[in-house]
Amino acid sequence: MSRSDPRAANDAAPPGARPGRRPGHPGWPRELLLGARLARGGGRGAMVRVGLTALGVALGVALLLVAASLPHVLHARDQRVAAREETGFRGELRQPAANTLLIAATDGQFRDVLIRGRLVRPEGPDAPIPPGLTRLPASGQLIVSPHLLELLRSPEGKLLRQRLPQPIVGTIGDAGLEGPAESAYYLGSDDLRAGPGSPVERIDRFGNPNATPGLDSVLTTLAIVVLAALLLPIAVFIAAAVRFGGEARDRRLAALRLLGADARMTRRIAAGEALVAALIGTIAGVAIFLVGRAFAGHVALFGASVFPADVTPTASLALAVLLGVPAAAVIVTLVTLRRVVIEPLGTVRRAAPRRRRLSWRLALPVLGTLLLLPLVGHDVAAGETTHELQLATGIVLVLLGVAALLPWLVESVVRRLGGGGVAWQLAIRRLQLDSGTSARVVSGIAVAVAGAIALQTAFSGVEANYVKANGPASARGEAAVLLEREGPTPSVARLRTALAATPGVRAVTGAHVVPETHRPQGRGDPSAGPNTLTITVRTDSADDDAIDRVRTTAERIAPLAATYELGIRVVGRQYAALRRGLFAGAVAVLLLIGGSMLVGAIEQLQERRRPLAALAAFGTPRTTVARSILWQTAIPIALGLALALATGLALGAMLLRMVDAPVTFDLPQIAGMTAASATVVVLVTVLSFPALRRTMRPEGLRIE
Amino acid sequence: MSGPLLEAISLRKSFGPTPALADGSMELAAGEIVAVMGPSGSGKSTLLHCLACVMRPDAGRVVYAGRDLTAASDAELSALRRSDFGFVFQFGQLVPELSCRENVALPLRLDGVARREAERRADDWLGRLEVADLARQTPAQVSGGQGQRVAIARALATEPHVVFADEPTGALDSLNGEHVMQLLSDAAHESGAAVVLVTHEPRVAAWSDRDVVVRDGVSRVVEPVS
Repeated sequence: MSRSDPRAANDAAPPGARPGRRPGHPGWPRELLLGARLARGGGRGAMVRVGLTALGVALGVALLLVAASLPHVLHARDQRVAAREETGFRGELRQPAANTLLIAATDGQFRDVLIRGRLVRPEGPDAPIPPGLTRLPASGQLIVSPHLLELLRSPEGKLLRQRLPQPIVGTIGDAGLEGPAESAYYLGSDDLRAGPGSPVERIDRFGNPNATPGLDSVLTTLAIVVLAALLLPIAVFIAAAVRFGGEARDRRLAALRLLGADARMTRRIAAGEALVAALIGTIAGVAIFLVGRAFAGHVALFGASVFPADVTPTASLALAVLLGVPAAAVIVTLVTLRRVVIEPLGTVRRAAPRRRRLSWRLALPVLGTLLLLPLVGHDVAAGETTHELQLATGIVLVLLGVAALLPWLVESVVRRLGGGGVAWQLAIRRLQLDSGTSARVVSGIAVAVAGAIALQTAFSGVEANYVKANGPASARGEAAVLLEREGPTPSVARLRTALAATPGVRAVTGAHVVPETHRPQGRGDPSAGPNTLTITVRTDSADDDAIDRVRTTAERIAPLAATYELGIRVVGRQYAALRRGLFAGAVAVLLLIGGSMLVGAIEQLQERRRPLAALAAFGTPRTTVARSILWQTAIPIALGLALALATGLALGAMLLRMVDAPVTFDLPQIAGMTAASATVVVLVTVLSFPALRRTMRPEGLRIE
Repeated sequence: MSGPLLEAISLRKSFGPTPALADGSMELAAGEIVAVMGPSGSGKSTLLHCLACVMRPDAGRVVYAGRDLTAASDAELSALRRSDFGFVFQFGQLVPELSCRENVALPLRLDGVARREAERRADDWLGRLEVADLARQTPAQVSGGQGQRVAIARALATEPHVVFADEPTGALDSLNGEHVMQLLSDAAHESGAAVVLVTHEPRVAAWSDRDVVVRDGVSRVVEPVS
């Protein structure tokens, strides 16, 4: 007998082994492949299940890829910002030369839009050209960002056009902008003069090699929490998505048992099925990400905008997402099937229902707290990587604890519930039979809310460090016009007269030198020397455009004048960006989880169409079933939000102690976040009603 | 009341391009058991669903207790099914998360009966159907025959005027099927309910007072042999 004789292998196989299968060979690939084939050819039901799971995974993957792009987004933006800076060489150049440029900042504001402005005057033919420009504007010419161009050409920008009436001769390219929604301009001016104490700079190149606008320790702590709080719900969501349609899948697996598949094989076949859905979802997620990225430049969320090219995932993180998500799908499927006994004869019997154990679930937040507590009183992010890692791990464990504890909490509470009307009874009994599905879907929301509450608390606690009042609140409706006397300023009297004649201005109160400590907070460096003059203007508070008219008057007469609105709060740039990031992320996560809940709710209705049709047949009003579905979602969400609230407040308090800030709670903000989450749940329930209507048609009995 | 309790007049129903019922007509007197027979796909279940106002026919009329139900609203039909009709199907009819007692009490509670009273009456019906010991079990924990008896108890608990039974023994062995039919027949006679019984088994049809045969969507009344 030759070595290649297949009988040789069979002879060596242990009794009962299949012909053609080598001993010890688990047959994994074959069974995974069979699962994949079943997913593809399992009829409409299987396709729907694969589609739902793939959709869930796709949304999760797309969001994870966005998160994986954040380092590049921030790096690219910081690089562009550093490359266009002119302040890195302040005071180095005294004499004009062929390669020098005079430049002055004229940053301002139009309504809520911040505008970055620069006046430029080349002193020779080799004067440096800022990034994003191909040439310098000649005197009296404007080069503007595309976003500012759009604003200037729109009817809303009419007032701003009066401030910037010069001819527009070009647009600033991407390399010279923070993001596509940035409003910026370069204006050529022959009036610029450099001198001691003047806000006008002389430079021979752009770029600030020393610009490292890193976050301070408090903001680093908050940034870590933002990432943990936003990414964890996505992971929880993906874990829930791969369980969509589980009951139909179990029925199919039971049929395979009848054909001779053993319990291990069925698990592997199920894993193959999940793998297909996860792979399709991953590919679709990449597609959604790429399509979404193409539109990224057109969307500004809470004032933040990015160039599509910036949204490039870090290679290692992208690889982790692309490999990790399908692997996680298989692992979750295998873990899920541990508690299911799939028997032949087309029946699926749940393993003897075991109560969920509290011990390991409680261990997660306890361990997380033990990691966080030693950090209280330390300067957490003072450059110590170990502290950052400890902080991130602690937060992740505490938030994971919410996801782990919630199913136990829901099970424990609903076990004790009873009584009530028919709708309540149907909901409670359903939750008593299987609370895991609802609890898992709600877990995502609970984790997001816990993280968001912790952050709200932390943000409120440190807000005083980053938000300053621009004068007392009683000064609302007033504006301060700051003038540098060394700059090319007109006579103060002329400016005062012009301001007094500006529509909407009630009074011009005077011009005086203001001590540096009393100046209003505003743009990073108002270039205020010791001789800065301030003219205070009182405007008609009913006239929304009055302040902008003051700005226009001031800047047309004194281009380097800086106008500040008084009586308002000015928020630090990085702090504001982080809060915007939290809001944008929280909105995206809530929408994602809301979508997942909707898919889950519709899938549950599909699974239960027989009993629902029977209920309809004997006259059960739809409103009764609709109320029961609402209860079914409301009970886990109420428990989830309670748990999230407790965890979020505790975590927030710990974070505040870590950054040595007083522990205070911003109750309206917390209530708002909780209410928003509850609204998502109610919306999802309402949106599932059309599906309920379809499912509850008595005609559904016809399939029997 | 003179005349039939329930009457189907020239009912027609199609599902897409497929005609299911071409001319369905039959009458049902109070307290009568009528078997609707025919081969698979002949349209007998469609006739039952139209009669029970579970689905609306494309044409024809259903008259119940002298009232034409053609123009009745969905809410009115639901209320009618809740109060006057009872249902037994082949499978998948019990609410899986409720116990057998709660399943039987459910239509009573939907009809406004207080929980305690509804459960007392449910226990009574479970006893009459010889499944009192299953009161606390869920449908997943009982056998097919036991489940059908619970379903019959639920169908009769509201003391309906008509019980619609669609292949009630289809998923049972012959011994269990006989027993279930015996219980259904006895309980219906005892409560005075009429029964429309859809089956393709002559052995089951033998429990009826008379038969209606449906073939290719057309019903034909089989006169009882005197």
